[in-house]
Amino acid sequence: MISLYVQRQTWLHRMPAGAKLIGLAAVSVALYPVTTAWWLLPVLIAVAGAYASLGPGGLARLWIVKPLVPMFVLIVGLQWWTQSLNAALVLLQRMLIVIWLANLVTLTTRMEAMMEAVMPLLTPLKWFRVDPARVAFAVALLVRFVPVLMAVMLNLLEAWKARGGGRQVWRLAIPMMINAIRMSDHVSEALAARGGVHSR
Amino acid sequence: MSEQPNQNHQQADPTVVLDRVSLLRDNQPVLHDFTVRLTEHRIGLVGNNGSGKSSLVRLLNGLLQPATGSVRVGDQDPSDGPESMASQVGFIFQNPDHQLIFPTVQEELTFGLKNLGLSRSEAESRAQACLREHEREDWADRPVHSLSEGQKQLVCILAVLVMQPQLIVLDEPFSALDLPTRWHLLDWMHSLPQQLLMISHDLDTLTDFDRILWLEDGRLRGDGHPNDILPAYREACRGQEGRL
Repeated sequence: MISLYVQRQTWLHRMPAGAKLIGLAAVSVALYPVTTAWWLLPVLIAVAGAYASLGPGGLARLWIVKPLVPMFVLIVGLQWWTQSLNAALVLLQRMLIVIWLANLVTLTTRMEAMMEAVMPLLTPLKWFRVDPARVAFAVALLVRFVPVLMAVMLNLLEAWKARGGGRQVWRLAIPMMINAIRMSDHVSEALAARGGVHSR
Repeated sequence: MSEQPNQNHQQADPTVVLDRVSLLRDNQPVLHDFTVRLTEHRIGLVGNNGSGKSSLVRLLNGLLQPATGSVRVGDQDPSDGPESMASQVGFIFQNPDHQLIFPTVQEELTFGLKNLGLSRSEAESRAQACLREHEREDWADRPVHSLSEGQKQLVCILAVLVMQPQLIVLDEPFSALDLPTRWHLLDWMHSLPQQLLMISHDLDTLTDFDRILWLEDGRLRGDGHPNDILPAYREACRGQEGRL
């Protein structure tokens, strides 16, 4: 996800993170009563328009859903078969709109701003003596390390293939885990060296 | 070599003192009765893998604690823990990906400052001032992933510099960098006012340093000017080749 943040400042960057998150939630809920496929199309086009407004390369970012296409095909097929074509198209458009909008928020919001916006939701954790700031930090770390762990996985896969590894790629699960745990040692060391994570 | 004034001429570098330190890791002895006093401005640390280099530097900011003996950096005792040493000793690791925690450069720089107790706006203005000072003002909003390996390592160093430590420890900072980037970063590092302690396997990067420590099996095997120590270390490595 870190690889997604767009550097160029756009109108969406300037919008407060809280407003964007509330907007995202509102749209997701508002889509539910809509059951006619045609009515969702303008919304979909508006979302695409928002991507285009990010500037050159903005529209290309819609391809984020590419890995999900096989799943979409499966779901749409199933819906069409069990329900109707209309129901299938409604579901597909709903999923696309929500995924693209959520991605749009990620693209244009700094981690810090996101954490601050989510913080009020985490305050009830205080009742259980859990520090919300720490939870927010853990979430930020998770997001930051997704691409790093993906790179580790690719390296392992290359090493596996380079030595003629077969199709039982699942066997990489254990080395992957060991790698992740070792990496977490490094990260915790680096964190401590810069003063650690303070409770508020 | 007990109490003598800091003889450094360039600035008031903290004196690093290890006094009869021994260190265990996983119940294996790593350093044995190790005593050294460091006042030089640029100090290099060489030795084969497993000689105790990384462990030694981790004693200086409290990431590791000695089993016996004492460590002092300036007027601070690193056994108080890394949190209290962070403002005094900056630490640069081998792999920037282990060190860069936030998606953008500015967030990375403000993190340590906020740990020092600065407010968000203070931290941000200091981070921006630091970027400006090092002519990287336009980096503030850059996503860290978009930077090259050398630029990432530079951000790691800036994130430490912004906390204004007196000593910067670098654990093989160049291992992932190509030669031009290495030299460029090294030149820039030599221009910094801070005291540097650097571990390196690339002996060429240490030739302009003031003092080299050569570690072997947790003991000092050599200690002196690079012109004396580096050739001796190189020679010793030649003698060992082919014994994997």
